[in-house]
Amino acid sequence: MGIGELFSTYGENYLQALVQTWSMTAISFACALAIALAITVFRVSPIGPLRIVGDFYVQVFRNIPGVSLLVIVTYALPYLGVTLDYKTCAMVTITMVVAAFASENLMTGINTIGVGQIEAARSIGLSFAQILRNVVIPQAVRSAILPMTNLLIGTLLTTALASQVPLKPPELTGMVSYVNSRSIGGIGAFFISAIGYAGTSLAIGSVGNLIDKRVRILR
Amino acid sequence: MSASPLSMRDALYEAPGPKMRKRIVAGTCAALMLIAIGLALVVRQFYVTGQLEPRYWALFARGTTWSFLAQGFLGTLRVAVTAGALALVLGLVLMLGRISEIGWLSMASRLIIDFFRGVPSLLLIYFFFLVIPKYGIRMPSFWMITLPVALAASGVLAEVFRAGVNAVPAGQTEAALSLGMGDAKIMAKIILPQALRIVIPSLVSQLVVVVKDTTVAYVVSYPDLMQNARVLISNYDALVSMYFVVAIIYIIVNFAINQLSIHLAHRENAPIITKNTTNPV
Repeated sequence: MGIGELFSTYGENYLQALVQTWSMTAISFACALAIALAITVFRVSPIGPLRIVGDFYVQVFRNIPGVSLLVIVTYALPYLGVTLDYKTCAMVTITMVVAAFASENLMTGINTIGVGQIEAARSIGLSFAQILRNVVIPQAVRSAILPMTNLLIGTLLTTALASQVPLKPPELTGMVSYVNSRSIGGIGAFFISAIGYAGTSLAIGSVGNLIDKRVRILR
Repeated sequence: MSASPLSMRDALYEAPGPKMRKRIVAGTCAALMLIAIGLALVVRQFYVTGQLEPRYWALFARGTTWSFLAQGFLGTLRVAVTAGALALVLGLVLMLGRISEIGWLSMASRLIIDFFRGVPSLLLIYFFFLVIPKYGIRMPSFWMITLPVALAASGVLAEVFRAGVNAVPAGQTEAALSLGMGDAKIMAKIILPQALRIVIPSLVSQLVVVVKDTTVAYVVSYPDLMQNARVLISNYDALVSMYFVVAIIYIIVNFAINQLSIHLAHRENAPIITKNTTNPV
């Protein structure tokens, strides 16, 4: 089946798949950022147990394979009395994993600031809240733009996990098997999905670079 | 985690006074209590739903369970090591193409690198599993999982290698040029040996991504750790316990690889290049 024929038969489905992928990426990434913020506050707080919980979360979820977490959320949690629909399962999995990496990015952003600046801020009499607001956060956010851009692309690629659960409508990776189970999609079915991903990553990457160039701190 | 997160964490706060110290103690107690309550609720949920019953966990007392899982783990290792080795070679070749002076070669290499970095490994696996057989090419399941994982990793490794090459000071190339060395010789004798040394920790940390990618081997029904766990689940009807145990095994393995990479980074005094890693699956 040629690309043109594929489009006329499955054009609608591919569009839905693209929207499905985009919506899962956007929602998961937004939730992951919120969780990462909380986890990072835990990790820099002066309260020991919270630091340990934050570090533990990050180590567990950056090291667990996505599929391994997905099967737990989808197939094990119902046995424990928690049943979610398939799309939510996929998004919960993606969010948990991405949050761990996002927290690592935020920590790296904080670490690049340097102890000297904090000491300087304190010696001119800034309070803790002022130090956070005027010294730490502006710099940490700026230096986290590029890693976060890459993480958003990573989130996009991670949504391919959702092809492992029966999703309606399927997302871009699931489309390949959807098409192949109905007709001989061949190489075209694969390339349409691939272009969907590669095009989106390219767009995210260029926007991220643009923002980074505008806000970057030259050291 | 970069160089020393603890120093910055601690620098954020002044040495606490007596009032603050009291508050920290109170916060610590409250946090400990909340954590204990949370853990208790999780255990209770396991208990209430009957998942702590011995019939779900008895299979882990048998040697056969562990030897079957070990077989699966060997399968995982075989795929990860083969894919890693292939990706090393391919990544190096792609990087050399990318930085070459020949216009079309550089352009083509860049396109290939960006393609493999911009596409999920699962999609590549479906390509080898669903698309290639339609063209009459038969391939053992081992290669149907190993090749896509290797291709996905090669794009990232090419960028890691390139970062390593860029990290070698330009003065070295200039010095070599003034000695009359050719481009190829400079690359082989001056730049690559140093660049490789710089990227070793980053390469090790990329192994985690490869191990994670191998977990979808069940798609092509290759007997890796996850696939063997699924077989055990259908034999013993112990889904929850088995999936949790397997997840813990993966976490420990990947944690160990990450620690090794951090250790190497400290020893070589080279940072772990994460700038171009976009694949957390």
